[in-house]
Amino acid sequence: MTAEPTNFLYPFIDSEERDSSALLVDLAASARGKMAQSRELQLATLAQWAAVVETVGAEMAARFNRGGRLYTFGNGGSATDAEMTAEMFRHPIKGRPLPAWPLVDDRAVLTALANDVGFELVFSRQLIAHARADDIALGLSTSGNSNNVMHAFAEAKHRGLMTIGLAGYNGGAMAGNDKVDHCLVVRSDSVHRIQEAQDALVFELWSVVQRHLADQPTLEGSSK
Amino acid sequence: MPNPLLSDERELAIDFAALESVSDNLAAAALSLARRFAAGATMWCVAPSWPAHGRHVAVEFVHPVIMGKRALPAIYVNDDDLLGALRVLVRPGDLLVVLGTAEDGKLTSLLRRAEAWGLTTLWIGAGPRPPASAADHVLWVDGVDPEIAGSAGGYVLLYHLLWELVHVVFEHPGLLVEPPACTDEVCITCSDEGRLVEVIETRDDDTALVLAQGHRERVDITLVGPRQPGDLLLVHAGTAITALEEREL
Repeated sequence: MTAEPTNFLYPFIDSEERDSSALLVDLAASARGKMAQSRELQLATLAQWAAVVETVGAEMAARFNRGGRLYTFGNGGSATDAEMTAEMFRHPIKGRPLPAWPLVDDRAVLTALANDVGFELVFSRQLIAHARADDIALGLSTSGNSNNVMHAFAEAKHRGLMTIGLAGYNGGAMAGNDKVDHCLVVRSDSVHRIQEAQDALVFELWSVVQRHLADQPTLEGSSK
Repeated sequence: MPNPLLSDERELAIDFAALESVSDNLAAAALSLARRFAAGATMWCVAPSWPAHGRHVAVEFVHPVIMGKRALPAIYVNDDDLLGALRVLVRPGDLLVVLGTAEDGKLTSLLRRAEAWGLTTLWIGAGPRPPASAADHVLWVDGVDPEIAGSAGGYVLLYHLLWELVHVVFEHPGLLVEPPACTDEVCITCSDEGRLVEVIETRDDDTALVLAQGHRERVDITLVGPRQPGDLLLVHAGTAITALEEREL
């Protein structure tokens, strides 16, 4: 990202500046402008990926019905988004609770792997331990380039998992990668606006999964 | 069966028209936070129902997404005994950011002690609003279920913007100096009228050691009777004049 878009408003960076009223007006205007940008990007992103979200949601629902689990992962703010995605599926506000687990949760596992084998393998090594073919791997990276996320996709694909990538900018390494079954790119170069649109995408994805599961009651005799 | 969450009337799960009214409060909060950071504050983040949001707020400030922006001290606290943990962790002048609904008793019980501990407070939440006086700054996502605000991006947008605006304020060094708290001779703060304090230690001699604006003081508790650590008192001129029940504040 470049310099603050509001910089032009303040040609006089002045240590003698004392009256905050003008700044407060500008800050509030800046907030409103960014909210509008966030809303437009969210709407454009949902429209752009509507068909893909429908397809992905249907396949996720089918995998959940076969007893599959969802594993989520990412770094920094995306780690917390991975955590919230898992939470949304596991403790839904409505609908069916689904097995979802964030691979960022356990500091003992994360630091053991980071220390012993390298940070690029912290997610893939967990998938080696946990994953089965019916599972789903969902990775978030605003750049689309996070090394450990890409390693996790390769491992997940190798094990027959469905792989879903959420990226920003131009999709980075995730875009067009044969290890990522579905790559949903938020076309923006602001990390914050990308994360906000990714949250909207994940919420939509969860809604589609729940709709499909409501249409297909749990099979008797299935493990879920 | 149609999914009731995918309403046809609303394009997005978050009501942006309702969010927009938060802008003025966001601006005031950003100015206040930047000033506290400039004075050396640590920002403590608490989110018992939304640990992921608490961690996200902290990582925004500690590790900025924009290269060159300064790293600011923010820490997410996850502790079964939040009061006990924060009571020893905070320093006077620090910031407390809480995230959650107005019904969350853990949050209200913390915020009630902010004055005694000398903290500036910010409350981000959704659902029924808390009283405006519950925190120094209240950023509320109206018109949407708190669970949806939490999972569909309402809170995230607010704290992303908060971070962005704090860093705009840093470009105005002259405004980072806090104006004098009081220029008025009848200022309530300075006249020592009913300051809120928290008891931290009692003795047999009708006095108690209390935290007042984060500093330890000994006050006379003859008027309010025996007290326990954690009790909140109103103190005037070195004497506790009222004991407050948890609910009363």
